[in-house]
Amino acid sequence: MIAAVKALLSSVLAGLLGLDTVQAGQFLLSRPALVGPVLGWLNGCPLEGARLGILIELIYIDFIPVGGVVPPNGAAAAAAAVLAHAYGGLAPSLSFFLGVLAGAAYSPVETRLRAARSAWNPVVESQAAAGTLELRRWLARAMLAENAALAAYAAAWTGLAALLALLPGLARLYPGTDFAYSLMPWLGLSGLYFRFRTQIYKKG
Amino acid sequence: MFLRMFLRSFFIQAGWNYERFQNLGFAFCLQPALERIYPDREKYKAALLRHLQIINTQPYMASFVLGNVARIEETAAAAPDPAAALKNMPGVKQALATSFASIGDRIFWGRLKPMTAQICLLVWSAGGFLGWLFTGLDTPAPVWLLLAGPLAGIIFYSAFAVYWRWRGLKTGYDCGGQAACGLGCSDWTRMIRLLSTAGFSMSLAIALLAVGLLAAMNCGSCSPSALALKIGLPLGVLALHRVTRALGRSVFFAAGVVLGASLLAFSVLGLEPFKLYL
Repeated sequence: MIAAVKALLSSVLAGLLGLDTVQAGQFLLSRPALVGPVLGWLNGCPLEGARLGILIELIYIDFIPVGGVVPPNGAAAAAAAVLAHAYGGLAPSLSFFLGVLAGAAYSPVETRLRAARSAWNPVVESQAAAGTLELRRWLARAMLAENAALAAYAAAWTGLAALLALLPGLARLYPGTDFAYSLMPWLGLSGLYFRFRTQIYKKG
Repeated sequence: MFLRMFLRSFFIQAGWNYERFQNLGFAFCLQPALERIYPDREKYKAALLRHLQIINTQPYMASFVLGNVARIEETAAAAPDPAAALKNMPGVKQALATSFASIGDRIFWGRLKPMTAQICLLVWSAGGFLGWLFTGLDTPAPVWLLLAGPLAGIIFYSAFAVYWRWRGLKTGYDCGGQAACGLGCSDWTRMIRLLSTAGFSMSLAIALLAVGLLAAMNCGSCSPSALALKIGLPLGVLALHRVTRALGRSVFFAAGVVLGASLLAFSVLGLEPFKLYL
């Protein structure tokens, strides 16, 4: 019971940090490199949290949020991975791949939330014309919805991980996932290298 | 007014939507200026409606547009014919939004953001935490170090972001009304080039550090052929990523290939797994 409450609170924290991705601040507090160690620390696995976080960060470095594109969500990925490990009981390697998948699968959720806000425009305009517009409230509502969505999403993936851990024969996957996981830092480093190498060739 | 606009600019994307992008946040940021410029309620409402139209730019560089638009509104309010003074405003707003989006995307998303990860890796390495490279290494690391890495990157990044948010507001207001307002306030091309060079140098340093560490961890502990395999595999992953990029596929494809091959070899065929280090 206590574990479930802690997992839920961690999901809410992930949702709050996730607001930094687009909606509030954009100080990069929502990057997996920070969300990972923070959630890991709060849930008793700081080392694994840090490792999962930075590896997801390096994998996601290939994606840039330009022109309204919705890239995979790093906060959702790191939260799902760390909580899958801490509460789902999955090995870090499997948690990592689950997290990467969770982050990528969050894009359609984010797209729907953004699309839903389009319907607000006529209402906002009519309120502005009537002189009753409280933009602060609309924005708070948008952030609350985003926070709730991300928190629920992270909690759902934690539950899924816990169910996955019950599967018989899951341990048979671990030699394969562990080896693939050990190669992920190199995939991430190559992403970092090619990102800047291309820029140098383009001369800015 | 400036301080309120500056603080509100941190929420410019809070209401991002597909129909008009940042319009809700933009109008929210501009409200303090509009309230001061238009004490008349009807004029204020009309101004607010003007800024609920479509707008999209890079969030940190949006301050340039905000400052500029605030100045245009101020000038128009004092002009004998406000409608004529506001005639060019949508065009100027759009032109600046597009230009600054292009600059901001290159500086912040393209360069500074990946650099935060590099800073994190360098801080961790300097502090002796190598778990980011060797996933099976369980040498304990202090929590402060694990948090210091990402926080160092975030502080570095946020210093730029906060500075340009504030300076953009001031610069935009000072030269408001001009179509190229603020575009010349810095040598953007030089800045982008410098950041690219710094980022590439750090990438190279981290890659060399990683290969060096891998060789050092295995030195003397295995046969030359095993050593070649343990160094060759990571280099193979680098080559796989290069090919993936050339084929126009994302990094997920490369990760999927690595995972699929590993599962096949060690989980399905039952080959004896090995670690990349001792």
